[in-house]
Amino acid sequence: MAQSDPRQDRTSGKAIVAEHLCKVFNVTKGMVRRTRSQVVAVKDVSFEVDYGELFGVVGPNGAGKTTTIKMLTTMLLPTSGNASVLGYDCAKDVTKVRERIDIVLGGERGLYTRVSAVDNLNYFADLYGVPRNIRDKRVKDLLDFMGLSERAHNRVETYSKGMKQRLLLARGLINDPDIIFLDEPTVGLDPEIALETRRMVKELVAKGKTILLTTHYMFEADELCKRVAVIRNGEIVALDTPSGLKKYVMDTSVVEIEGYGITEKEVAKFKEVPDVVSVSADLGEQKQVIKLQTPKGSEIIAEVQQILKNSRIYDIKIKEPTLEDAYLRLVES
Amino acid sequence: MPRALTVVYSAFRMAMLHWMADPQWIIPNIIAPFVFTTVALTLFKESTGPFGLYAVLGGGMMGMWGNTIYSSGYAIEFEKWQGTLEEVIAAPSNLMHVITGRAISNAFFGLTNMIAILIIAVVGFRVPLGISDPLMFAVSLLLTLLSVSALGLIFASAFVLSRSAQVLTNGLETPLYIVSGSMFPIALLPFWIHPAAYVLGPTWGVDAIRLATSTDYVSQSFWAGMSPNVAIFLDLTVMVLITLIYVAIAAVLFKLVEKRARITGTMVEA
Amino acid sequence: MNNLKIFLSSAVFSFRAQFDWLNPTMWFTMKFVLTLSQMAFFVFVGLFANADIRFIAIGNALQSISWNTIFSVINITGRDKWDGTLSLVLATPANRLPLFIGRAMIHVLDGILSAVISFVFAAFIFGVNFGQTNILALALTVALTAFTMAGFGLLIGGFCFFFRNPMVFANIFTFALLIFCGVNFPVQSLPVAVQPVSYIFPLTYGLTAARNAITGADLVAIAPTLAQQITVGLAAMLIGYMLFRLFENNARKTGKIEAI
Repeated sequence: MAQSDPRQDRTSGKAIVAEHLCKVFNVTKGMVRRTRSQVVAVKDVSFEVDYGELFGVVGPNGAGKTTTIKMLTTMLLPTSGNASVLGYDCAKDVTKVRERIDIVLGGERGLYTRVSAVDNLNYFADLYGVPRNIRDKRVKDLLDFMGLSERAHNRVETYSKGMKQRLLLARGLINDPDIIFLDEPTVGLDPEIALETRRMVKELVAKGKTILLTTHYMFEADELCKRVAVIRNGEIVALDTPSGLKKYVMDTSVVEIEGYGITEKEVAKFKEVPDVVSVSADLGEQKQVIKLQTPKGSEIIAEVQQILKNSRIYDIKIKEPTLEDAYLRLVES
Repeated sequence: MPRALTVVYSAFRMAMLHWMADPQWIIPNIIAPFVFTTVALTLFKESTGPFGLYAVLGGGMMGMWGNTIYSSGYAIEFEKWQGTLEEVIAAPSNLMHVITGRAISNAFFGLTNMIAILIIAVVGFRVPLGISDPLMFAVSLLLTLLSVSALGLIFASAFVLSRSAQVLTNGLETPLYIVSGSMFPIALLPFWIHPAAYVLGPTWGVDAIRLATSTDYVSQSFWAGMSPNVAIFLDLTVMVLITLIYVAIAAVLFKLVEKRARITGTMVEA
Repeated sequence: MNNLKIFLSSAVFSFRAQFDWLNPTMWFTMKFVLTLSQMAFFVFVGLFANADIRFIAIGNALQSISWNTIFSVINITGRDKWDGTLSLVLATPANRLPLFIGRAMIHVLDGILSAVISFVFAAFIFGVNFGQTNILALALTVALTAFTMAGFGLLIGGFCFFFRNPMVFANIFTFALLIFCGVNFPVQSLPVAVQPVSYIFPLTYGLTAARNAITGADLVAIAPTLAQQITVGLAAMLIGYMLFRLFENNARKTGKIEAI
């Protein structure tokens, strides 16, 4: 890793630069009569990430988060636009970028389950060109750091979910990357393991790593990230610090209604009420929860009761808007 | 950029670990070679001549072919099934080097057929053994293995680029056994098939291996009239040249594979 | 890991059967390539070994039936389990025996076609003289061999209900025929201790009858051999069917049908 490379000037340079990134896929369907269509996964995404920053990218499924990450990590070529990482062009300086970054994709994958943790880490260390003398020590240190030393020589398939997660993170650090890309790192994890993962992410930032994280858990982005970009339909609809984003909804309160017997019909009626800025509904079998964003606050309660006169209302709460509310507003408007 | 040899060795080692974890997976790939060789041994039983040579060595060759056709072709898809393909691609190492390690391991494990046949040949058919030039035998075997691996690289990339390649390769197995001169001399084949045989690197390797095993074989080899050592040298030279061409083709195909992956985001043609 | 196993076995083997599902041109081409190249391989080995080429060519011609019968039938029977459609199938009130046998029939016809193509190869490419052949006797032998081999496939398929992996069995059995049934050399060439195994395969009888028919034997002469073949084939089919019912009853009791 070049120490005196001016492109990696950490005082004024940017760790990650995305300029009008766009990715269009050509999709062919059908076996007999083939129809071609185009899917625009990412329309126009631009942002910059500073060195040492923990940057979040949030958005619903299919918004283009993973595609964006793949463009930034050289795995996909942008259809148009530029991606550069540590001063290197992601499209052209592929090897240089790959040597200096690492990526952890979520889900139950990314490891060879029939071999041990040590073998997994040694293997990837070799693929990343980590010199032998450094490799052995680093593997040992990583396993210690992740609390896996005792089971290091057992097959990964015998590991618990939490251990696999930690090993995945260890693998993501095997080349001591300057930037780590985490794609939905806590999805599908038990709360304790997710908590541990978040703690480790914070530790890594404290050590000087730059991290780009995608998630659809707002509280996670709120807790971890210095800045958050909200992506919807392949475009960034907002980019700010978490508190900055919350200002989108500062003018409104969130009225949360818990009840029973609430259907889509009532939800639709809420949407028509003037001064209701957004409605989100969770219509479970036993219980339904409606969240309204409105500047009216408690003044809306009369209308709520009117609309819900045929349903049972258990509880009505009036809350400060959270990042999740800001996100919902941005994404659903 | 990680050193090529390190990556190749590491991939070879990982393949070895996987094989040790599930050794039974090789059986399907070498059943055909095993059965074909056993039949050949039985047919040879009634005749005199260096048939043991053909059967055992031919069995080894066919084992290498069988395992290479079926395993190397799926080398990249194997990563997909493991869920590690994206991580492997994201690494700075050249994907072709990674698959090379795997292709070599596949050819190597295919040699287990030779061991199985050897046991049957010695125990069941009392085939006499003996290698006249162990050093050249080892060298020829190693180079032939590398030649088969290089073809495996071509399969690996072709399989990813085209579904048809997979189907076509399936039908290639027995024709390859015929044309590689594993179980009988090429001379027996109609003359118009000979070019197909000579274009295959391993065919020359098998000739060299036989020369190294038994000096009597020279008269049947491609270089009848020359001394065994010269004949071996010529065989190996031709094979190495052909193998270098295979590697060049594979390099081009792998570049296509990577390009396609970066543009379409998929690794296997739908 | 189980998913990986299924995947690996399916991918490595399924192409031998799968090409019939791919498209007709592929299927037809593969038919020609596979049967011709296998016959060619053994004929050349035979040439080298100074063996009887005619014997080998005829043997491989009839053996070509096994790809369609044993191999495909085992896969079809096994495939239901893998595809998860088995419980749907068992839920129908359809009479079990026709259902079971019906599956195999298309493969019988396919097998006969393979054999015909292979005999043509044997005649025109490998110079086997069919001049004295009793056509009726040979035709009947081919048809019965296809039918009884399908029955044998049902037997193996029936076993496969209880095992994880039909593909491995399909491969092992189809190839084992090359050694045991007198395809490339007479059964007598095998070690004496092993010879009895040959007689559980209907193909063994079929080959004896076919070779006799080609040298001019008539229906009466080959009738005893064919009778033995039919007996073996029917027995195999019956056992296969019983295994199918056994499995079905077991599944009802334990609630376990689908794979793993």
